[in-house]
Amino acid sequence: MNPLRRFLRVPEARAGVVILAALLAMALSASLFFPGDPQAIAGPALLPPFKDWSLPLGTDRLGRDVLAELFHGARTSLAVGIAAAAAALVIGAIIGTLAGFAGGLIDELLMRTTDAFQTVPSFLLALAFVSVVGPSLGVVVAAIALGAWTGPARVARAEVLSIRERDFVAGARVTGMHPLEIAFREILPNALPPVLALSSVIVAAAILTEAALSFLGLGDPNRVTWGGMIAEGRAVLRTAPFLSIIPGIALVLTVLGVYLAGEGVVETTAVRRSLS
Amino acid sequence: MSSPLLSVSGLTKRYRRGVKIIAAVDDVSFHIETGETLALAGPSGSGKSTIARLVLRLVEPDAGRIRFEGEDFLALGGAALRSRRARLQMVFQDPLAAFNPRATVARVLDDPLRVHGIASRQERPRRIAALLERVGLTPDLAPRAIHEISGGQRQRVAIARAIATKPSLIVFDEAVSALDLSVRGQILRLLLDLQREERIAYLFISHDLGVISAIAHRVVILDAGTIAESGNARAVIDAPQSAIGKALVAATPRLNRTRP
Ligand SMILES: Nc1ncnc2c1ncn2[C@@H]1O[C@H](COP(=O)(O)OP(=O)(O)OP(=O)(O)O)[C@@H](O)[C@H]1O
Ligand SMILES: [Mg+2]
Repeated sequence: MNPLRRFLRVPEARAGVVILAALLAMALSASLFFPGDPQAIAGPALLPPFKDWSLPLGTDRLGRDVLAELFHGARTSLAVGIAAAAAALVIGAIIGTLAGFAGGLIDELLMRTTDAFQTVPSFLLALAFVSVVGPSLGVVVAAIALGAWTGPARVARAEVLSIRERDFVAGARVTGMHPLEIAFREILPNALPPVLALSSVIVAAAILTEAALSFLGLGDPNRVTWGGMIAEGRAVLRTAPFLSIIPGIALVLTVLGVYLAGEGVVETTAVRRSLS
Repeated sequence: MSSPLLSVSGLTKRYRRGVKIIAAVDDVSFHIETGETLALAGPSGSGKSTIARLVLRLVEPDAGRIRFEGEDFLALGGAALRSRRARLQMVFQDPLAAFNPRATVARVLDDPLRVHGIASRQERPRRIAALLERVGLTPDLAPRAIHEISGGQRQRVAIARAIATKPSLIVFDEAVSALDLSVRGQILRLLLDLQREERIAYLFISHDLGVISAIAHRVVILDAGTIAESGNARAVIDAPQSAIGKALVAATPRLNRTRP
């Protein structure tokens, strides 16, 4: 059976995929259904949901269309989550591979740096970074990646340490391959599976961190974000709780979807491993 | 007079085991002439693989000298060492472990040709096909994954990889031990053919004196990291002098004493 079919047989995976597909559809169709500025005023302020079918989820304090904001927010959440996780995985894999393969002083240096980054809570790190550099999408991505690469680095290093003792690495040396080619072309691809297994957790954490930054007003001011929407709704929490609840639910569902899909991947590969 | 192709003298490698330091290889000296096969025999743990790894600079010795093709091989480093590796190759015991698990046959043979600039990108597929034919395989094996071919085929690919750079010496560490008898015979014949045609020298490690008597000119018998005895392969196997040599001969029931 092909891996995709096997993956889709895991119930968690199916649930996760459905949620993520819906999210992706929202993100991709945002400018199709809601062209123009989602932050523009679309109707009367504080219209409750399900009252006016041209504004199905109502409007916020300034009269902005909540559904449009939700769609555009999905785009930000996904983009930041995926970009930050990808950056963290790439940085972590490279640093872990270099440390594990080079050993000695380089290993010591890189791993002490990893320790240093790991001791600072990643949210504080992101907070400090954004407040110093200034909020924009790229900075937010970098700030989140800065606190998330240490896990992949450790896993990659441990994996590389065991792989580099194997005969095929000795074979590559005997062939006369350059050490960097051995590290990144021979060893790294074989060290990747356990590193990639971390990706769902990292994506989920990145989406939450982005929301938290936006909630504190440190998100990109030119983009709608779910965290920013929750913060907006906070001022009218008693009279219009839906303004915070709707993006909150979206956030919870997204993180759940990413997590479930990740579990599905782990389950699929675990089954394959136990079969082989 | 010319100096030997490879000469090893006073080679020593120590490993720490707990608090004790043991010499895996202790003051070992030998030499190999061009086109000659020297066998290393000895019981498990006698230091055979360690010598192979030292000679290939996969591990560094604690003492001793290695001269290869007239150069101080231990003085080489970096790019100079990598380029000299073309002349000194190795075939490992487990042909599955010796290749990147993601590799295809073509990639395995492409690497040495590319790394040493032996053939241009366009020319390499032809070279790969020729190498496969040289070791008795069909070129249509090239796109297959390493794990999709048989153990015997894999060991032939390993030999093809080793001869791709036209080496003058190949080290075999128990390279036929994992193969069943009929395949082993074929591979040994292939090695004898290659040696006759290309004048490649072999450092052939095995604990099987039957195999050694079939392929080696001279033999060195190791015991706990030191040389117990050495000499003409036939002479040593017919009349071993050391206790360990006698034990090894006694442990090989059907010694085939005729060289092919
Ligand atoms: N990396 C290492 N660290 C510690 N000890 C080692 C290491 N490599 C080899 N040794 C020790 O050195 C000695 C010689 O090992 P070696 O592998 O060279 O033996 P061998 O003759 O190849 O044995 P076998 O026939 O079982 O392959 C053994 O006692 C072994 O435990
Ligand atoms: Mg050995």
